[in-house]
Amino acid sequence: MVEFDAIIVGAGPAGCACAYTLAKQQLKVLLIERGKFAGSKNMWGGALYGPVLGDLSPEFLKEAPIERYVKRRILSLLSEESYFSLESAVNNESPDVPQDGAIILRAKFDRWFAEKARKAGAILANGVQVEDLLWKDGSIVGVKVGKDEIHGSVVVACDGVNSILAQKAGLKAELNPVGVKQGVKEVIKLPLETIEQRFNIQGNEGIAWEFLGKCTRGLPGGGFIYTNKDSLSVGVVVQLNALLENKVKANDLLEDFKRQPVVARLIDGGTLVEYSSHLIPTYGVSSTSRLFSDRFLITGDAAGLVLGTGLILEGANFAIASGIAAAKAIVRAKETGDFSAKALSHYQRLLEDNFVLKDFKTFKKMTHVLENPRLYSTYPDLVCSLWHKIHTNDGNPRKSVRQLLKEELKGRVSWWQLARDLIHMGGSL
Amino acid sequence: MNIIVCIKQIMDPEIPTGKFKIDPEANRVIPSEGIPPVINPFDAQAIEVALRLKEANGANVTAITVGGQDVEDVVRYAISMGVDEGILVSDEAFKALNSFVTAFILSRAISRIGQYDLILCGRQAADRDAGHVGLMLGEMLNLPIITMAKAVTLSSDKFRVEHVITEGYQVYEVGMPALITISDEIGPPRRPSGWGVIAAAMGKEIPTWSAQDIGVNLSDVDIKSVRSETIRLFIPDSRRKGEVIQGNNVAEASANLMARLRADGII
Ligand SMILES: Cc1cc2nc3c(=O)[nH]c(=O)nc-3n(C[C@H](O)[C@H](O)[C@H](O)COP(=O)(O)OP(=O)(O)OC[C@H]3O[C@@H](n4cnc5c(N)ncnc54)[C@H](O)[C@@H]3O)c2cc1C
Repeated sequence: MVEFDAIIVGAGPAGCACAYTLAKQQLKVLLIERGKFAGSKNMWGGALYGPVLGDLSPEFLKEAPIERYVKRRILSLLSEESYFSLESAVNNESPDVPQDGAIILRAKFDRWFAEKARKAGAILANGVQVEDLLWKDGSIVGVKVGKDEIHGSVVVACDGVNSILAQKAGLKAELNPVGVKQGVKEVIKLPLETIEQRFNIQGNEGIAWEFLGKCTRGLPGGGFIYTNKDSLSVGVVVQLNALLENKVKANDLLEDFKRQPVVARLIDGGTLVEYSSHLIPTYGVSSTSRLFSDRFLITGDAAGLVLGTGLILEGANFAIASGIAAAKAIVRAKETGDFSAKALSHYQRLLEDNFVLKDFKTFKKMTHVLENPRLYSTYPDLVCSLWHKIHTNDGNPRKSVRQLLKEELKGRVSWWQLARDLIHMGGSL
Repeated sequence: MNIIVCIKQIMDPEIPTGKFKIDPEANRVIPSEGIPPVINPFDAQAIEVALRLKEANGANVTAITVGGQDVEDVVRYAISMGVDEGILVSDEAFKALNSFVTAFILSRAISRIGQYDLILCGRQAADRDAGHVGLMLGEMLNLPIITMAKAVTLSSDKFRVEHVITEGYQVYEVGMPALITISDEIGPPRRPSGWGVIAAAMGKEIPTWSAQDIGVNLSDVDIKSVRSETIRLFIPDSRRKGEVIQGNNVAEASANLMARLRADGII
């Protein structure tokens, strides 16, 4: 009987990082992916933030199929009549460090990443869906695929947001829509020159553009546009429970979003080449979350390691970092031959020591602020309208900004409420 | 019994039309980024037939493909379905071949294998739908050929083959060795099992034969004798137009529709 040192389920960023690290250490690794190829079923916004890919191998930063690097970030508030934007840009001539974000298409990236793991020595099995854990005498000894039983010293669940394995192992409950967002996105193809013109970018420069307000009909969430090389990723991300409670389909919101004049212009003339939908676990990880048990670890989205604070939507970097940490814990366990929960708890300690769980602590309060419904309709409307009025000259004597603000607030939100919200938001930063 | 199945890797036929591109200058399809090629579905059915024969009578099944450097996956796929051996006939020169040259290379490679009782091919490759290679290969190897089989069984050293015709099928018997092309009436091929895929991924290296290994020098192949050539490759213009034909009531609207169809020369 073949026994692997580690069976890694799911070849997303977490699984590939874990498999690559283990294979480099000469462990016998099996990486299982249900898609026809790694990435075939995966989607995101999106951009990879931070240097974590380079931690695996400095070469990766050069080799990875990166569409563009985020040169400018834009946040726009949308109202019925207008929009209001904040924009920031990095000044270096050609940004090619992913600190600011490397814009990536998952179908290409995951496939490349899985190939790296395979070349490092991992056995990559595409088109294979793990259905269950394999138990013996109350202990996990592998996974089940159809009638086949596959044995391993440790199983790493890198199977994403709705991790069947984490549930079967008893580390996670079924997904609760309250802690989950739904993302839908289209990839719209446009000639490279058109993209460069419309977004005022060149070379490998790219744009990450987020939208709040009108596009989600007041539901907590937002829209986004990322520039790929010769296509745009256009999508919306919305709180799942809000969608369910209001009987709104995320797809309809995406259609609304695409009809916004500012968006419509950017995508005009493009052809739709891909549509996809995916859930995002934004429930957050707390100090009481347990990400390991006997002969079993959970990483990435399966562990809920996504920061969805509104200002930030990051998961892939945490997925990669957690995959690496899991691999390190497994290498240690292999040395002693002890794969018990106690030995594997090293994994969670590693996460606590590096940026992963620290980031979650830092942004913990943020999620509460984001529940404020005024963020998604009242305030975007107010800001747009106020800004518009400040700059409108209709021939009549102008009013002071204070006066205008007073008029804008009227019927929308009280001074007292506004002050409270501002203090709240400030406090959460 | 030794069975050889000829397989081909093709562009995924399920590729969305928006991603399908051609290079009209070179008369060539441009492989689409991010969508990996697949096994020609008819070839998967040929493998299915080989495996059924193996299960019923015992056999050693070898899958063979000809192509550039990037066609190993299709052989691994065949192994994950359950074939015993794979052979990759691969050379940079073998990238864009027409049917004749492909059949020629296959015939050389198969001669190198030597021992065989049955050669199976898909009825055609689902990319160009020519259906030439199997026939040409049979000719080159001087074998009896039966095309479009919907069932193949073995009884006392003869293959019993059901050959599909327009309104039914004909039954043939053929001795060994023979070449049979398999039609889709055979039914869906098996999907590789989990272990099948893992074993194929773990499996030994796949022998790769270069042009030199099988004694083929493409410049020796008389391209004029190739007899088939792509003259023009293009994507037909299929823009659709919508129009609502009006009328005060159904009868009037249908009359207007008829008038319009006549005017446009459609009926
Ligand atoms: C709309 C949207 C926008 C986003 N934007 C960003 C962004 O800009 N930046 C960012 O960092 N993050 C972003 N994220 C989050 C990010 O995509 C995820 O956090 C990240 O992909 C998690 O990686 P993972 O490897 O844990 O899981 P996944 O990427 O989900 O990979 C899981 C893999 O497991 C496979 N699998 C699942 N079950 C099985 C099974 N039973 N058997 C075999 N294989 C299985 C799947 O096919 C998949 O390949 C976004 C997400 C969405 C949905």
